[in-house]
Amino acid sequence: MRLPRLTLTRSIALSFSLWAGNNIPLLADASPKASMPERHRALLSENCESCHGAKKQKGKFRVDDLPMEITDLPTAERWQKVLSAMNSGEMPPDDEKQPSPKSKTDFLDDLANVLVTARRALSDQHGVIALRRLNRREYRNTIRELLGVELDVSELPADTGGPHFDTVGAGLFLTGTQFEQYESLAREALDLAFSANTAATVPQKTHFECESFNPIFRKKNKEGLDAMARAKDWIAAVDSAIARPENAATVADIRKIAATPDALRYHWKNIPGAPSPTKFGFDKTTEINPAIIYLYREFTEFAQYDQYYLNLPHLENGAYLTVQTRIGGGNNVTAIQGLPIPANYPPGDYVVRIRAGATPDAPAERRFLEFGLKGFQGASTPALSTHHVTGTIDAPQVIEIPFIFSKQNADRGHRNLFVRERRAADGTHDQRVKEAFKRNGFGPEVALWLDWIEIEPVKDHNIPSGIRALDFPLDPQAPAVPKEKLRPSFENFVQEAYRGATVPEGLLDRLLGIYESRLAIGNTHREAVKHALSSVLSSPRFLYRAEPEASGSHRTLSGQELAVRLSYFLWGGPPDATLRELANSGDLLKPEVLMAETNRLLTHPNSQRFVRPFLTQWLLLDRIDLFQFSKTLFPQFDDSMKATARQEVYETFSHLLNSNAPLSDLLRADYVLVNGLLAHYYGIEGASGDRFQKIAIPAGSPRGGLLGMAAIMAMGSNGERTNPVERGAWVLRKLLNEPPPPAPANVPEITRLAGKSLTTRERLQAHQENPQCASCHRKIDPIGFGLENFDATGIWRTSDFYQPVSESGVRDPKLRKTWTIDAAATFHKGPAFGNYFEMRDVIATKQRNFAKGFCSALIEYALGRPCGFSDEGLVEFVVQQCESTGFSTREFIHALIQSKEFQSK
Amino acid sequence: MNTSLNRRHFLRTSTALIALPVLESLGFQRFASAAKSSARGIRPKRLVFLGFGFGVTQDSWYPKLDQTGSGYTLPAGLEPLARHKADFSVVQGMLNKHNSNGHYGSTFWLTGANEFGEPGQSFHNTISADQVAGEHLGKGARFDSLVLDCGAAAGASGHGQGLSLSWDIRGKPMAGPKNPVEAFHRLFAKDTTPLDQQKAMLAQRRSVLDNALENARELQRTLSKTDNAKLDEYFQGIRDIETRLSRDEKWIGVPQPKPPIQEPKSDLAGYEEIRLMYSIMAAALQTDSTRVLTYRQPVSTLLTSLDIRIDAHTMSHYPGKGPEYLEASEKRDLAQSRLLAEFLDQLKSIKEPDGSCLFDHTTVAYGSNIRTGHNLDNCPTLLAGRGAGIKLGCNIAVPKDTPLCNAWLTLLQGSGVPVERHGDSTGILKQLLA
Repeated sequence: MRLPRLTLTRSIALSFSLWAGNNIPLLADASPKASMPERHRALLSENCESCHGAKKQKGKFRVDDLPMEITDLPTAERWQKVLSAMNSGEMPPDDEKQPSPKSKTDFLDDLANVLVTARRALSDQHGVIALRRLNRREYRNTIRELLGVELDVSELPADTGGPHFDTVGAGLFLTGTQFEQYESLAREALDLAFSANTAATVPQKTHFECESFNPIFRKKNKEGLDAMARAKDWIAAVDSAIARPENAATVADIRKIAATPDALRYHWKNIPGAPSPTKFGFDKTTEINPAIIYLYREFTEFAQYDQYYLNLPHLENGAYLTVQTRIGGGNNVTAIQGLPIPANYPPGDYVVRIRAGATPDAPAERRFLEFGLKGFQGASTPALSTHHVTGTIDAPQVIEIPFIFSKQNADRGHRNLFVRERRAADGTHDQRVKEAFKRNGFGPEVALWLDWIEIEPVKDHNIPSGIRALDFPLDPQAPAVPKEKLRPSFENFVQEAYRGATVPEGLLDRLLGIYESRLAIGNTHREAVKHALSSVLSSPRFLYRAEPEASGSHRTLSGQELAVRLSYFLWGGPPDATLRELANSGDLLKPEVLMAETNRLLTHPNSQRFVRPFLTQWLLLDRIDLFQFSKTLFPQFDDSMKATARQEVYETFSHLLNSNAPLSDLLRADYVLVNGLLAHYYGIEGASGDRFQKIAIPAGSPRGGLLGMAAIMAMGSNGERTNPVERGAWVLRKLLNEPPPPAPANVPEITRLAGKSLTTRERLQAHQENPQCASCHRKIDPIGFGLENFDATGIWRTSDFYQPVSESGVRDPKLRKTWTIDAAATFHKGPAFGNYFEMRDVIATKQRNFAKGFCSALIEYALGRPCGFSDEGLVEFVVQQCESTGFSTREFIHALIQSKEFQSK
Repeated sequence: MNTSLNRRHFLRTSTALIALPVLESLGFQRFASAAKSSARGIRPKRLVFLGFGFGVTQDSWYPKLDQTGSGYTLPAGLEPLARHKADFSVVQGMLNKHNSNGHYGSTFWLTGANEFGEPGQSFHNTISADQVAGEHLGKGARFDSLVLDCGAAAGASGHGQGLSLSWDIRGKPMAGPKNPVEAFHRLFAKDTTPLDQQKAMLAQRRSVLDNALENARELQRTLSKTDNAKLDEYFQGIRDIETRLSRDEKWIGVPQPKPPIQEPKSDLAGYEEIRLMYSIMAAALQTDSTRVLTYRQPVSTLLTSLDIRIDAHTMSHYPGKGPEYLEASEKRDLAQSRLLAEFLDQLKSIKEPDGSCLFDHTTVAYGSNIRTGHNLDNCPTLLAGRGAGIKLGCNIAVPKDTPLCNAWLTLLQGSGVPVERHGDSTGILKQLLA
């Protein structure tokens, strides 16, 4: 059964209101209208026309003949001028008649929205998809599938960050510089792939028993204690010379410039009888500057810590993660010692295993370890992943971590893996050591014990398709291969690279030409092959997803083209062999086969290559990395937590996809998907380990759904304080599908409240005094107020405070203002709510709006063009399909893929 | 018929298009003082554009409007530039009237384009002033222009869409080195290959490009008009490389300039990164490697390097917030002014062969499309250098909302670039004429 093609014969009403109900009238009109409601004519004629009318055309600008409906760019520009002049407060001039605040607010509100509509209508691509280049991540995935190597593509433009998804063809540019980058990346990828293919043997795994670190610890401890004793001896010897009565006058003299005993000893050379530090085993430099000796003397606390450590049980078959101490103490299985990746391990896929357990007394928050590769930043390099240690020393667990060792890291010599306790590198280290020492006399108790660590290359027996295509030797010494033998191999390679498309005539001859000319200038066979094939990987048929149609008319996609669209949509990469076979046989064009393949692709781990980029861009998750979260205010919200909070968004959506649960679970749900770390953060019982699990939450929990997620709330902050405006605008954009117009230029900022001791609400209340602000903020701010119970890191709170800085720049505690959070507010032209829960309930009823917004995003992402008004029919079609199933998440994907739009050029 | 051969034939023989390194570009129009300075010796004109995204502090960066002319008091935000006070002007009242995006500090700064100017397209831009200049001033140097960037993401950098300040003749974003190391290598990487081998490699390179063009042509024949409009970027990219190769050919045997500065270290960010980039830019001009430069400089990392913990966007909205936000904004201004002052020092200290200094032949435009917050009017515009013969040492007020492109047009014409208009310009800025 083919589904009917929907063409847009309906328009939508433009001044739609969220609260007018969901039955927006669908008129039989042909195109959407961007029209200022007629009632606003009054404001123009009463407040503008005396200067900008037919008679007096001040600034050569008149409004009397301004059409209320915007159908072309010149009219849009004229209205934009009206909006800009009024937003900046320039018009009407202060000494002229002013409109009432209410009518001005409504006027600006409508005009801003009508202009957004007009812009969208005027830029509508009417279903035309601009030729799509592989974006940066698609390019990386495609190379990985073809050649089995993971490239560092960071030198290529990111393709994200603009107003549209990174799949939108119109925004995917290509320059000469980029062409050259593709060439060099291709050569690098081919080189790595050839080497991996010709490597004689795959290295065996490397296994470290952690107890092997303990002798080093003992040795360092011994050295530390010895240095401490020698330091004390030297000090005693100098002090006894100082105490000699015959030296009294000399000493008194020196004391004039060196008051303290330590300072005095700096002058030991001038004190008769004081021995040189070299006699105590210190080096020559200490004769001039004995500072290091004083440092050794102060090792007491570390000596205590060492003593504590060396008396711990289970040192015979493992080691503990310790604090990093200064010279002498601490075994530092952590960043200091590191675990070198053996020199013969090439870049590639590895698995790291850590057998670990927590000590019996380890508190819950200290049962997490971080794993990573030490880079430029040494010991404070951000971790690659965080793991929940659920085992004990008696019954340890094995944590298995997939790890990609990149060529860049290999080139830079970054080969040291580290394992450290979570928060070991967050800068609070010294503080914690000091506090613990004060409390127990030796330092922080150990919490995590490691038995062993190993690293093993992943043996992939599947030769990547691009390499399999080449039926000749690829080692550096291999001799030249005759043309007849090269030709079929090259043909196979090109076909793989071009995702199954027919190899164009003439291309093979040209490739053989490159090969031969390379041999002619003295290149080896392998070099020559590399140059020929890199030209394939920088050719337009590889870099662009071409759907040929010279006539420019719409047509149904071929099976192969459909396979490519499908796999780049759901896998961010090329179709695999199964999909290609179904495409070639034509079976893929059958709706039921297409549906089954869609399901297969969604169930495959590669679907993360859809889930992550789609959600990141749709929900604007990158915002969470824009600012530093205050370590003093939010010590728990470290990099590990931030990454895990972000993961919750992906995991929850994956869960909806896999279980085909309602999309509206994102608005409100009675469960969460959490792992051990996040459950601990939220204070939710029942989840442990690194895997995200579905956990039911009690009624009355603020969690469940996007609004209850730490990542979403943290995005609506600046790392220190909440940002109710950002949150409110996000809810309007993403959940209610009523996006506020973009932040207008040139609105004067409200400055009179700077530095005042006010609550967040009092401060934002000022938005309502001024029509330019109120026109948007009356919709945005109430929602932000409803979310004020979440702090800047998504933790529930009931009070907040503001600490102004006084004129003289000091934080005067007397000015500090604390208040109980009042989350009650009223939606603009909508219902009132008493708290967050009531607000969330109202938002949860808007599931159709949410579904439409989601659907528009999905269309843009999948089809690679902005979702315009001409797509309104498609949106409606998909939403209606899904409505009957209660908005099951997977149905959206099916309905879109089954649509005519997805299947035609 | 092989069309590429024809075109290449043209490129190789046409000195009009590929001028030799020693040629000086003489403009059709010169201002009196510019003519004077060139009388000292024919030195090439240079143009430098420095864009800093998120605006400035309203109250402490702009000179007072009631003190126009040379007798103005230097405001606090420009204080580090005191020693150069006689050698730059601040122009107030400029606007890119088509830009209505309060987060786009750089996207349209040098272009003046209308984002919505193309029906059926969601984004539109046009050529930037530096590229207009590069086309005319750049021919004698190794590089037409050098486009430098900080690798900022579009989202929150204050710069907006784009890969740098520069947009090519078709309004497509241009990319270039994203940090000092890349920039240094682009300029001074040593090519020790023997001459005949270099020539052989150029020939190889040409055959690779021919093959790429042939691949593209094969695809072109099968595509629709709109798809071909997109594929045209590919053709254009290859053509750009070809043009560069033709130029490289002229330069074979001309020794690579010895870098006047040390090779930079890799891990600098923020203040030191900008400072280093400025040094590299001065070195690029000194060695006459290029005559036109743009640099889209970082703001976020600058703040971090100044130990400011407030994110750049929040800082740019300091009005109405606590004094710490204002303080951050002012610190940013001071740091940027200090860096600029050092850059001007360098231009003044580098001697030209005729005894004049780089500063005599260079124009530096320093600013952003954003004033403060989301305000786009009176966008900060500071012009320095004697290259275009503009009036220096003054606080210049132009009628409110004068097109910013009028300033660019003035600089272009003053530098000898024969253009009648740029972007939405309506004429040159008479107030800038010395």
